[in-house]
Amino acid sequence: LSSLCPLLYGTNCCFIEFASIIGSQFDFDHYGLVPRSSTRQADLILTVGTVTMKMAPSLVRLYEQMSESKYVVAMGACTITGGMFSIDSYTIVRGVDKLIPIDVYLPGCPPKSEAGSWCFTINHKFYIGRSTHTRNYDRELLNQPPSTLTSEIPLEIFFKYNKSSESSPELVN
Amino acid sequence: MQGRLSAWLAKHGLVHRSLGFDYQGIETLQIKPGDWHSIAVILYVYGYNYLCSQCAYDVAPGGLLASVYHLTRIAYGIDQPEEVCIKVFAPRWNPRILSVFWVWKSADFQERKSYDMLGIFYDNHPHLKRILMPESWIGWPLRKDYIAPNFYEKQDAH
Repeated sequence: LSSLCPLLYGTNCCFIEFASIIGSQFDFDHYGLVPRSSTRQADLILTVGTVTMKMAPSLVRLYEQMSESKYVVAMGACTITGGMFSIDSYTIVRGVDKLIPIDVYLPGCPPKSEAGSWCFTINHKFYIGRSTHTRNYDRELLNQPPSTLTSEIPLEIFFKYNKSSESSPELVN
Repeated sequence: MQGRLSAWLAKHGLVHRSLGFDYQGIETLQIKPGDWHSIAVILYVYGYNYLCSQCAYDVAPGGLLASVYHLTRIAYGIDQPEEVCIKVFAPRWNPRILSVFWVWKSADFQERKSYDMLGIFYDNHPHLKRILMPESWIGWPLRKDYIAPNFYEKQDAH
């Protein structure tokens, strides 16, 4: 298993928790995770912190810029369902799974740092078992190489990713 | 009792209204939006060279919009600088106030936020556009008569 490189990304209070996972008490580095600042070099994005409607296109752009075999961990209640802002706020996105496909949901507000490092250890099985996503942007491509999708399928897939599920229908769920 | 700045302005014949002192003892003055361009420069020359904060609030639904400026004097060796608070009330049907960016630079982002949240147009501001809300948002969120848009969310479907 090669080590994951998470993207150094964080919007709101959960980022402080993410930073404390990077610190020395709950060590990020001894699981082999090295935070990368560049999206092209990262393969894991922990969506940390509330995502507003203004931030949503930027987050999707960051996700699309990551190179293939990428994983998403939704950390914190705000990225799972909107969290404490889901009732009254008129500008936040209730759940990042409306924007990008998510692999692991990590609940908490914020999730404890032990939970963050637990999620990397316990889910290694998922990471090994998956193969890469294939993105089929080209409609004319008829023969699709087989690909297994993730274990937790999000409720709404962004329309681009729907193209891949249309052309290989037997692989959904 | 009238504040020092109020007495000074009255001595020089500048129209203002004294709104008393707030709980910290800072004297508060009200200036008309038509006079604000000259009084802002007069205050800068008087000595108030630092705009601590510029904020805005909605006085009443259907009423006036207030733009509040907290000014103080920064210089070497000053321990308890004198502070003053200026309020400029703009009517809702024409919420235009002169921007004080050219007098105190720190007003840049703060006036953009007041514009974004309450819809007060600051004339002569170099780049007055939305700063917190998405660019394409319609409406002024912090006004008291603002109705939040009711987006259809999948979670509310049940």
